[in-house]
Amino acid sequence: MHKRSEINELLMESACSHSADPNKKACNKMTPGATTGGCAFEGAQISLFPYADAAHLVHGPITCLGSSWETRATCTSVDGLDFTQMGFTTAISTTDVVFSGEQKLWDAIQYIMEHYSPNALFVYATCVTALIGDDIDTVCNKAQERYQLPVVAVHAPGFLGGKNLGSRLAGETVLKKLIGTAEPDSIPQFPINLIGDYNVTGDMWQYSHLLDELGITILSTLSGDGRVSKIRTAHRAKLNVIVCAKSLISLPRKMEQKYGMPYISVSFYGMRDTSDAIRQIAISFGDAELLQRTEQLIKREESALLEKLRPYRQLFVGKKAVINTGGNKSWSIAAALQDLGIEVVATSVKKATADDSEKARQYLGPDGILITNPGAEQAKIIDEKKADILLAGGRSLYTAIKKGICFIDVNQEKKKSYGAYNGLLTLAEDIKNSLENPVFRCVGKEAPWNK
Amino acid sequence: MEQVTTAARKPLQVNPFKLSQPMGATLAWLGVNRCMPLMHGALGCASFTKVFYTRHFCEPIAIQTTAVDDITAVLDGGDYSIAEAITNICKKVTPALIGLNSTGLTETKGDDLCRVTQQIDIPLVYANTPDYEGGLESGWALTAKALIEQLVSAQSTTVAKKMVLLPHVSLQPIEVEKIKDFLGDFGFEVYAIPDLSTSLDGYLGEKQGALSGGGIEVDDIRTLADAAWVMSVGESMLKCATALQAKNPNMQHLHFDHLNGLHATDALVEKLLAIGLVSQPPAKVVRWRQRLQDALIDSHFSLGQTKITVALEPDHGIGIVQALQEAGARCSGFISSVKAQHLATMENVTPLVGDMEDMEALHPTTDLFISNFHAERIAHRHGKALMLRGFPNWEQVGNTLKNDVLYEGSCYLLFESANLATEQRAKADH
Repeated sequence: MHKRSEINELLMESACSHSADPNKKACNKMTPGATTGGCAFEGAQISLFPYADAAHLVHGPITCLGSSWETRATCTSVDGLDFTQMGFTTAISTTDVVFSGEQKLWDAIQYIMEHYSPNALFVYATCVTALIGDDIDTVCNKAQERYQLPVVAVHAPGFLGGKNLGSRLAGETVLKKLIGTAEPDSIPQFPINLIGDYNVTGDMWQYSHLLDELGITILSTLSGDGRVSKIRTAHRAKLNVIVCAKSLISLPRKMEQKYGMPYISVSFYGMRDTSDAIRQIAISFGDAELLQRTEQLIKREESALLEKLRPYRQLFVGKKAVINTGGNKSWSIAAALQDLGIEVVATSVKKATADDSEKARQYLGPDGILITNPGAEQAKIIDEKKADILLAGGRSLYTAIKKGICFIDVNQEKKKSYGAYNGLLTLAEDIKNSLENPVFRCVGKEAPWNK
Repeated sequence: MEQVTTAARKPLQVNPFKLSQPMGATLAWLGVNRCMPLMHGALGCASFTKVFYTRHFCEPIAIQTTAVDDITAVLDGGDYSIAEAITNICKKVTPALIGLNSTGLTETKGDDLCRVTQQIDIPLVYANTPDYEGGLESGWALTAKALIEQLVSAQSTTVAKKMVLLPHVSLQPIEVEKIKDFLGDFGFEVYAIPDLSTSLDGYLGEKQGALSGGGIEVDDIRTLADAAWVMSVGESMLKCATALQAKNPNMQHLHFDHLNGLHATDALVEKLLAIGLVSQPPAKVVRWRQRLQDALIDSHFSLGQTKITVALEPDHGIGIVQALQEAGARCSGFISSVKAQHLATMENVTPLVGDMEDMEALHPTTDLFISNFHAERIAHRHGKALMLRGFPNWEQVGNTLKNDVLYEGSCYLLFESANLATEQRAKADH
């Protein structure tokens, strides 16, 4: 279990940008009736479920897992049974609520060990089992002893807070229970940990082969294409690389304190950011030869990409886009669009941190509009700036249709990867298809009875 | 008659397809026009549900949360978080109704919704839906019952041609519409409660997502009790019919376990003709029955050599299985999400309350699986055909317009399953 003081510390994470802003008290304040976004359990689940050699058992009523398993396309290279796309839950009943669910939990653990032989097991507390006081730690410890495998209790019940907090609690659990509990067979020359890339739609694989080519070894991940056996050796890496994920900032900060391991924060979205990310990783090792190899690789990849992008960039000349999304997407998508030669005239910063807003300003320049109230402003900005494309969530579809402009659902990236160099090509192709698609004009056509 | 066995020997669910009562409740609230579903629980209860349905329906889903945290979980009896949530909702929108339902968290801590909501002066209905009891069907039914009990005014006279339709949760929006139209063709003026046919049917509207965008009007719910007839579809809806009849002792009740296939639709038509608002069946109904007869003949060759295994909600599965059995399909397995009385009445079927691990175990005797999208990996792994039904289907678009009911929909159901089975056999031969 986590102490209240630990939870507060994670909420007030000093390395997070809100800490500099006295008006923002914590990363996730929850207002009844005016809150969207997932709970702490979901955050923990997002961060740990990609461990493919571990089974994940959710100790709670059916909603927690029943609505959420197999929702994220987190790719793995695992042979055989892929635990990331399986769901295990104790699905507790009234009897368990009244008489405790500990025995059921123990039986469920036994069932999983005997039927599925995972390399490790994560057991997630949820609101109800936390409230009725099931002693999950004791059950997990007993199981760990009996099966001689890591059996890790994850205490991030939903009512503790939002997704970010849950991700941090997951990071904290990994740090306390797994990192440093095993040694790697050998320590490569340039070992790194990738933190916060969950390999959704294979995002990580868009750049991992490039790191590999440079001789940079991904020793472990939290947790894209992840293995528990590898994260246990994470303390032997020489650099933590945080990929587009503020939520996990506490972990690398604490690993720096504990193991003296430096960390950098990068984004693999768009050409410039991808090149910069690879360069930053190489620079961190301070090896002249590595740096030279890296610059050559970047040059090669960029010129190959620009060659392939040429026809797209011609097509996109003079096109203007408005972006309405949140978090780091407010600037990372902007950067990617600019790489394609599209002018980004406005981006929404309503759901972005101070850091994200600042970055968005850098990318958009002084004339770019940072939208603070997209609901009211979006349509007006499209008119004023004569935008051609709206990138937003499904709710904004009608705005695009009314304005007769092309609409791209920003959540498409949950279906295919727009990451790194190759992902930018995929994005270009999708934007081209959208621009050429007559559907938006067709749908927006006046009904015969209104003529 | 077979004994209903349960999977109680297992202390867990592996690859569950069971869904929770709060999720069923949400869907029911969304069948009331301009309603704001309010989930009394932690953030995740509402957000998981929202994402789940947004992906299934490809539509924005209105829902809010009381955002219970670890402090209010202990110190608040719901008074603060519910009142605060409603105040904040009403700052932005003017709902015709707040649909408040509890979750496992708030039932465990024992919040008394009845007491708390007495202090709230805007239209509100509450339902107790812990997620450690029941499932999707009962959550939907409890909510429909709450709407009836808390909104409908008691009456003693009836309007002869007015009928209330109580559809079970798995009927897709177009199916509810088809049933309403069908009853309309027999002379009835029909109100469905809840009514997804005009809210989650997937239509392009101007205002999206702030409140439910369609469904039965709150005012129409208030006056439902003068209906001469109430018709429940699905065993889970029986207690809603009883609740409505309690509002008017002169209301008569029709019940059907499902409306899939020739037998079930014939049984409905027989009743409707007996009531006698029309003397002859409508011509298009006669025509569709002939088409269904033909569809049964055309599909029987494929289905007659097909063994099916379904993993669905009980009210849904019983209809699908019995419709396909009419064309000779053999049911190797019926995995139900929860226990249900009428499972025991099924012929040539051994139902089991379980999960997709249980479903997968039946693959040696299965040609065609019928379940939600989680079954895809399983069907693929064993080279079996899969017909996607039930929640969720995140792989395909057009879920809301899938019609399996009455003479017409049954034709589509037979053809789709027969073709899928044939296709799979062709693949296996190569």
